[in-house]
Amino acid sequence: MRNPPPERVASALEPARAQLLRAARADAEAALALADREADDLLRRGDEEAETILAEARRAGEAEGADAARASLARARRTARERGLHERGAAYDELRARTVRRLRELMAGTGNGNPAGITMARRARRLLGPDAEVAEPPGGGLIARAEGRCVDYSPEALADRALARFGAEAETLWAP
Amino acid sequence: MSATVWGDIEFTAVRELRGPLAVVDGVSGVGWDEFARITLPSGERRHGLVLEVDRDLVLVQILEDTWGMDPDGLRVAFAGEPLHIPVGSGWLGRVCNGRGDPIDGGPPVFGRARAPVGGTPLNPLHRQPPSEPVLTGVGAVDALTTLVRGQKLPVFSAAGLPHLELAAQIAAQSTAGGEAFSVVFAGMGLTHPEAAFVRDALDERSAAGELVLLLNTADDPVIERLLTPRIALTVAEDLAFTGGRHVLVVMTDMTSYAEALREVSAERGEIPARRAYPGYLYSDLASLYERCGRIRGRPGSVTVLPVLTMPAYDITHPVPDLTGYITEGQIVLSRRTHALGVHPPVDALSSLSRLMRRGAGPGRTRADHLPVAAQLLASLARARQVRELADLVGEDALSQADRGYLAFDEAFLRDFVDQPRDRMRRLEDTLERAWRVLLTLPRSQLTMLPDELLDARGAREDPAAGGVREAGG
Repeated sequence: MRNPPPERVASALEPARAQLLRAARADAEAALALADREADDLLRRGDEEAETILAEARRAGEAEGADAARASLARARRTARERGLHERGAAYDELRARTVRRLRELMAGTGNGNPAGITMARRARRLLGPDAEVAEPPGGGLIARAEGRCVDYSPEALADRALARFGAEAETLWAP
Repeated sequence: MSATVWGDIEFTAVRELRGPLAVVDGVSGVGWDEFARITLPSGERRHGLVLEVDRDLVLVQILEDTWGMDPDGLRVAFAGEPLHIPVGSGWLGRVCNGRGDPIDGGPPVFGRARAPVGGTPLNPLHRQPPSEPVLTGVGAVDALTTLVRGQKLPVFSAAGLPHLELAAQIAAQSTAGGEAFSVVFAGMGLTHPEAAFVRDALDERSAAGELVLLLNTADDPVIERLLTPRIALTVAEDLAFTGGRHVLVVMTDMTSYAEALREVSAERGEIPARRAYPGYLYSDLASLYERCGRIRGRPGSVTVLPVLTMPAYDITHPVPDLTGYITEGQIVLSRRTHALGVHPPVDALSSLSRLMRRGAGPGRTRADHLPVAAQLLASLARARQVRELADLVGEDALSQADRGYLAFDEAFLRDFVDQPRDRMRRLEDTLERAWRVLLTLPRSQLTMLPDELLDARGAREDPAAGGVREAGG
């Protein structure tokens, strides 16, 4: 058998080649379209995901920010309140210290004819009996003792008693 | 305690010191339950209460205990009255120890009036029944065991469960429908980390001037613990009935309080009753719990939320047992739920608020609140039966409807009960969650809900034909 001349072979295969080429192009176009679609899809999903992440991050950031702001506000209020309370406490302590100082001045030398000392000694003997021993402690004032009982008229004890009676009036130290 | 004015005479013949008790000789003019001040030679001052008087002998219970005391050189003064404290709004925003002395660096607490910490007996006819809710912002409590203004509702817990977190969360979040509201938190026997946690958790409320915090720590003298809830209630009564506020008193841990009572009782040589607690434990607890309520013709209310731990999770232990007799329901915490990581681990089926109907429903919370709560509990009861059945026959052998109950149980814990420890849940949100959980069940299983509610919520019909197997069968 003789082989046909190449021109005839080429012309005979031309339709097949064209068909194959068309099919390949169609495949390529389909693959390209699919790739485009997939790429679009991927991009869209990516965009959506990015938006979700962004929104989530924004929400989380806002929540965190709100929490931080709330915590910061709470801290500031706490600090302010603590300072206020400490200042009131200090004012009250100062009131007591001044009361003690003033009483000490008033009661200096109770054993040497100080009128306040005489009044207090009289009162102590009335409470404990005439045999009560009356002494002046180093801090001033007087302490009277009898069998199993005593009366403390030291400046500290009298200041505490005065402040207890003063009660809520002490709040005028810091009340507006 | 600054308002106490002491008598001039101090007594120095202290015959004996034993545990927290001191016997003072040669005393006259002193009565039972009088408040006492003991001055040590160093100038340190402690306080006490007169327990007994026999001629010129007086037995004084010293709040700060007698450690480091020498009978020689002690001076004991008496107040001429039982312990009184100043009362008024000066307490709001303050942090004090279990005796009511400030630990926040501030001056003593002042008040325009004074009141005895033992309380003033109230004519029962002047009492008004509790009504209207205190919303705690804790979904499981608000929906299923609604706390009512004037009620006493304890939390039954056990060691290791987050009762303190729950108590602090309730104290931080509770409201009374926009009306003036305050919280008095009495911590008893707390460790220092617990006390610090409570301070932090309630900081915002404290700074807002809506909180009184009394902290008796575990290393504080045990006797102080007997005073802490009484001071808390005295402060609360004045804030409520004079100040017109709705006041929630949270007292934790009442078991620690009862142990202090037992210790003092043993020191006094009293005959012990059950588990060595004194025979009067019931009346002592009642003298605290019964100080809640509302008074006719006066604004405000005192609601009490005692928290107690059941030793070995034993609900028959004297403290929960006697508490249960006095109070109006209980919120029980569950170890199983806690193990599942659910907060708060409320055991809904064991919990109950006997006065819930007075505080929930139309005009109080929401019209559908009570039927929703009833349906939740009924479905939970059924879910529990199904779970027991599943333990016997395996989940695969359950009907579809039964498996639906297991899914409901899971959704109930995860979507309804569970909530962050630092987030308040509004009642609307709570009830919407309840509906979402309920609607996981088919309509035929929601028999306690009226048709119109089910229609409005779009309850689904049974997904498949076939009856529901009886759980016990």
